[in-house]
Amino acid sequence: MSFRELNNIQLDALKEISNIGMGHAATALSQMIGQTVRLRVPHVTITEISQVPEHLGGAENLMVGITLQILGDARGSIMLLFPQESAHRLLCSLLGHQGKTLIMNEMAVSALKEVGNILASAYLSALGRLLNKTLIPSVPLLAYDMAGAVVDYVLIELSQSSDLALMVETNFVGEPGEDLAIKGHFFLMPDPTTLDIFLSEVGGVHV
Amino acid sequence: MSDRVSIAQARIDQAPVVLKASGLGSCIAVGIYDPESRLGGMGHMLLPFRPKQAPLGSAGKYVDARIFQMVDELVRAGASREKLVAKIAGGANMFETTYQTLINSIGARNARSARETLVGLGLPLLGEDVGGNRGRTVEFDLATGNMMVYCAHDSEQLSL
Repeated sequence: MSFRELNNIQLDALKEISNIGMGHAATALSQMIGQTVRLRVPHVTITEISQVPEHLGGAENLMVGITLQILGDARGSIMLLFPQESAHRLLCSLLGHQGKTLIMNEMAVSALKEVGNILASAYLSALGRLLNKTLIPSVPLLAYDMAGAVVDYVLIELSQSSDLALMVETNFVGEPGEDLAIKGHFFLMPDPTTLDIFLSEVGGVHV
Repeated sequence: MSDRVSIAQARIDQAPVVLKASGLGSCIAVGIYDPESRLGGMGHMLLPFRPKQAPLGSAGKYVDARIFQMVDELVRAGASREKLVAKIAGGANMFETTYQTLINSIGARNARSARETLVGLGLPLLGEDVGGNRGRTVEFDLATGNMMVYCAHDSEQLSL
């Protein structure tokens, strides 16, 4: 199935799948940093591959990207992106005071990969239960660089079978009025056959 | 005035336009230039080779197909085929792993495809900045034929 053929009901189904998955991921993150993390309803967008960096606020924005492969009964990639200020705040919560700016030492890389691992695992296990599939995250990989450079890795993989990308985007936010302000983008990029599996399981079957 | 070249796109123009491709990771930017007519073009590609069964109209993603297309268009726009020269930048491996996978080596394969395609067409490759694990922003100045490469963690810029 091509992404272009998805209708509104199917997009809603994907959004709902993601909401549930992200709920679990947000809980995991809250426990990890000892502060409440909420999530904003995800946007599900189907976009030309060339437009993805624009959706991230510009190709040259500095971001920390953590990527994992989805293995098991379905295939695809997960990409977590944190703007550098958010990655810095996240590290301050996890490791204590970190200085004024983001310094990507071994400890920081390892801590952020672990965040990626926990979020992806929580997300995939919730998703897997819902779909009755076994979904396993691979070892996380990390890059700290321009947004465009960080995401083109995933886009390249997608572009082998499609000119379009399906982005399920979620933003992490704190309690209302609280100054947590850790923003993140979470992208689920199922390959086209996996998308079929997702949709047939949630009932948003082809019309 | 710089003209943005997004992923899977290419632009052909002439001096004094500056073509710009932002945030290249494993992607590669190929600039082709005729110093005499000062016509040039730059493409921003994702994948090394166009498979035979690829549908028509998807050339933009592939290094080889895009280079052929840019050369054709430049000649049609009035550039001299014999004077064309090329420069390339990008082809990094952003996510370093201890093991090698097909997708990890995509940057290197993009760079190799660009070199091979240019050699096949007889276009001299005057400069390259490829590989490594850093993202690049590339500006191709059609007034001079210079390719400037900027990196996020490095205030130095490179001129090819």
